[in-house]
Amino acid sequence: MEILACPIDKYYPLELHVFEEKEEIVAGVIICPKCSRWYPIRDEIPEMLPDELREEKDELPFLRKWKNQIPKKILTKGKPFNIKTEIEK
Amino acid sequence: MNKTKKPKPQTKTINKMTAEEIKETVKKGYAEVATSPKSCCDASCDCYEPFTGGGETLATSLGYNIENMPKSVTESFAGCGNPVALSNIKENEIVLDLGSGAGLDMFMAAKKVGNKGKVIGVDMTPEMVKKARENAEKLGFKNVEFRLGDIENLPVDDESIDVIISNCVINLTPDKPKTFREAYRVLKPGGRMFVSDIVLEEELPKEVKESIEGYVACVSGALEEQKYLQAIKDAGFEDVTVIDKTKSRYIASDKIRAFKPKNK
Repeated sequence: MEILACPIDKYYPLELHVFEEKEEIVAGVIICPKCSRWYPIRDEIPEMLPDELREEKDELPFLRKWKNQIPKKILTKGKPFNIKTEIEK
Repeated sequence: MNKTKKPKPQTKTINKMTAEEIKETVKKGYAEVATSPKSCCDASCDCYEPFTGGGETLATSLGYNIENMPKSVTESFAGCGNPVALSNIKENEIVLDLGSGAGLDMFMAAKKVGNKGKVIGVDMTPEMVKKARENAEKLGFKNVEFRLGDIENLPVDDESIDVIISNCVINLTPDKPKTFREAYRVLKPGGRMFVSDIVLEEELPKEVKESIEGYVACVSGALEEQKYLQAIKDAGFEDVTVIDKTKSRYIASDKIRAFKPKNK
């Protein structure tokens, strides 16, 4: 985490929320406080791709799965995808 | 050559594709290299001599000591040089591998930096990152880290890296000047970059130049040497030197060293 920066605005330091941990962080989310982008950690791998290389269909299930642990600001205003409409139903 | 392993022929030519479409195709191509290994430079064009010996033979021919390396490390190896061997990576340093693939170069670097050093690999292909992580676990490396990411948009803090290495990858990026600017940004002042990559020696035949298959095979995306070196210099690097070069027909594999100035 100490040298991880947002690939879009290069902001550092990023926020880390851990959902599952063994020897390494297995699942979690990395948040850029500056641009509100979020990056999943799945199977111990931080997925730090820029918007154009991310697909909504692969990303929304992650938000839904961890919605009780992901900060509300990300669920409703996170970039590049969020589940605002589902949350506010 | 096993024809069944080749990516499906694309109908579009490169000049009609966006940078994103090219990246997606490259990503898919290397997902195949991860899951059903073949060599990078194994295109179906006859513009140069394709390497068909597989990753192990390729790595050995480039001077890697692959003793004790499991097949899963070497079979997807698709480099065109041995940047770690040319580098002077020291103990305790932080190394970043641009396009780390199945991890062979990272593991070579990990031995040099030792337990207090660190090697970070960035690759945009999930299958490769997964494979590299499993390989690190098999080999017991604790000083390596993987990030799924795009080397044109590095998820790395400014001035945090001692040494950048990259092996036969930057030719695959649609925006090479941006990749070098990113490399420059993350290097500490006085940091070094060791790159092995394909450059063009003469103009490619039109059908190869426009072929996305040729692009994935590290040929059609290559720049002429002077343009490549200029892109490195334009990013701010100094003392940009071609330390070794292997020529083939139309293309060459250059081994390049560059420095970020100490005082800016």
